Amino acid sequence: MKFGLFYEISVPRPWGRETEKTVYDNCLEQVALADTLGFDQVWAVEHHFLEEYSHCPAPELFLTACAMKTKKMRVGHGIVVCVPEFNHPIKIAERTAVLDILSGGRLEVGTGRSATWTELGGFRASPDETKKTWDEFVHCLPKMWTQERFSYQGRSWSMPQRTIVPKPYQKPHPPLWVAVTSPGTEIDAAERGMGSLGLTFGGFAEQEEKVQRYRKIIRNCTPVGDFINEAVSTVNFLYCHEDDAEGVKVGKRLTGTFNYLAAQLLAAREAYPSKSYPSLGLLPSLRQEASGPGDASGAPEGIAIGNPARLVRELKKWEAVGCDRVNFLLNALETVPQEKVLNSLRLFAKEVMPHFAGASDSASAAAGGR
Amino acid sequence: MPRFGTLDLSGWNKSAPSLSGYKTEPLVLKGAQILSINIEIDDDPADALLPKTMHPSIPAYSIFNVTNYPESPFGAFAIAEVRVSGRTGVRPRGFVLRSYCNNEDACRELASRWGYPTAQADVKLDIRHDRVVGRVNAGGRPILECELIDRDVIAGNDIQYIASMHMARNKEDGKLVLVQVDPDFTFSKAERGKPRINLLDNEAFSAGSNLRLGNPISATFTTADVTLPKIRYICDPELPAMQGTTKVAA
Repeated sequence: MKFGLFYEISVPRPWGRETEKTVYDNCLEQVALADTLGFDQVWAVEHHFLEEYSHCPAPELFLTACAMKTKKMRVGHGIVVCVPEFNHPIKIAERTAVLDILSGGRLEVGTGRSATWTELGGFRASPDETKKTWDEFVHCLPKMWTQERFSYQGRSWSMPQRTIVPKPYQKPHPPLWVAVTSPGTEIDAAERGMGSLGLTFGGFAEQEEKVQRYRKIIRNCTPVGDFINEAVSTVNFLYCHEDDAEGVKVGKRLTGTFNYLAAQLLAAREAYPSKSYPSLGLLPSLRQEASGPGDASGAPEGIAIGNPARLVRELKKWEAVGCDRVNFLLNALETVPQEKVLNSLRLFAKEVMPHFAGASDSASAAAGGR
Repeated sequence: MPRFGTLDLSGWNKSAPSLSGYKTEPLVLKGAQILSINIEIDDDPADALLPKTMHPSIPAYSIFNVTNYPESPFGAFAIAEVRVSGRTGVRPRGFVLRSYCNNEDACRELASRWGYPTAQADVKLDIRHDRVVGRVNAGGRPILECELIDRDVIAGNDIQYIASMHMARNKEDGKLVLVQVDPDFTFSKAERGKPRINLLDNEAFSAGSNLRLGNPISATFTTADVTLPKIRYICDPELPAMQGTTKVAA
């Protein structure tokens, strides 16, 4: 089991000159610390227009800064929106290659298609088309990275033969992932030999079923890239404190704030009925699951808030259902003061990480030993 | 924190329908034909259309509904309404600015049992092969014409109609309350098309200059059995939903 950070970059009103800078600076400080503590990866979303919820429209820039501040952590585009109105595929191939070079081959590329009308409508993209364009993009991207000359005549885009440069540092190319929110997208990931970047929790039973289905289908996949990236990642919240009650209390404030903000956005399905969006996507699912029934402490099942013992217990459940990685959201609207976030990371690395095989071997030593 | 509505309640103090109480029994209305049109509206002025209870959705949008009910205890009727999207806490809701109905008995029942802010008018759905048009004439002049163009079949389970909030006056204590009305829909047919508003009299829908139409989103035309439910939740229109919501039935 590996652990990482997952950034939406939530910025509270009022938006003064320094507000966004402070939030970005805090995120970078967290990433730099996490690298020394043995966290394995950092992911950043691509979102547009999602006021307060996510001020992260250019994750490749944030991730470049992360790469400059870290030595070992992998940097994950989580995700690149594969819709032509948002991103031209040539630009995706070029900028991811540059980021891979600058990070010394530490890039992971998540792909997806946006789940809100707020964004799709803002770019005047049709919700009916996004699954199709995503599929086209992910089939092209590895070829654009690996072939010296590339040309393409497709449904949503085309280009005459050109040499797309630079090429990624990693050979044959960076690992590819798919954001899995809508039911059945894990099958899309498996059929294409891509990692499943889970962005909803689901109940453990549902998650286990999804993971088993993914692992079964990927055995006979037709990979879009030059290799199969069989990996299952999920997202979670993190607030770790020696005192369980305090950990749960602060953690619930974090999950509640995040979910409250998410609910204000306009899901594609609410505004524009389409079979392309059978579920509400990331945001409402996170909301429901993170506010679901828990034990007497009030901590919802599976959410990593509380003391180290509780976190070990809950994360072991994720490991048991077959997740390889858990990426953590650390804050929303700066609800948790920066020093508390940093202490939470330190405590997690010291007391929780060592209980998981595959989590960084250096975790315990870096955090001062157990 | 998200923005809140800033609606001035003085207009509603005069015009809110009188609610007979909260113990309304559900009403099943079979075979309803529902034209529903979503159009984005300018964010900042839209805040003034929503009560303080609600957050505007991001972005704000308005919902134009024109519905034929071929059978009911009050006979056939048609109703048109204009709603503004928002959130009560984390729940998507549409605040009804104004509605018009072509059946006097239905008008009275809907107002007194569920708080529909309804006046009588001529409401019609014109169903053609290439489009569905909803029209409202009040006082001898047109106040709304909206249409779905290029009908295309979709699945009923792709549709998600959001619940409504109705501003009403509780007869017992005379106070304004927001009544949550969350009908249940069983779809037998669903279509989607391009939305268009050909005519809108803002004043007739109590919107003044604050309803400024923007980017068109979608239009649907469905056939459904609709159940108007028991009233379960009411809100204080002066307080955020997280503080001012009361459960009045299971």
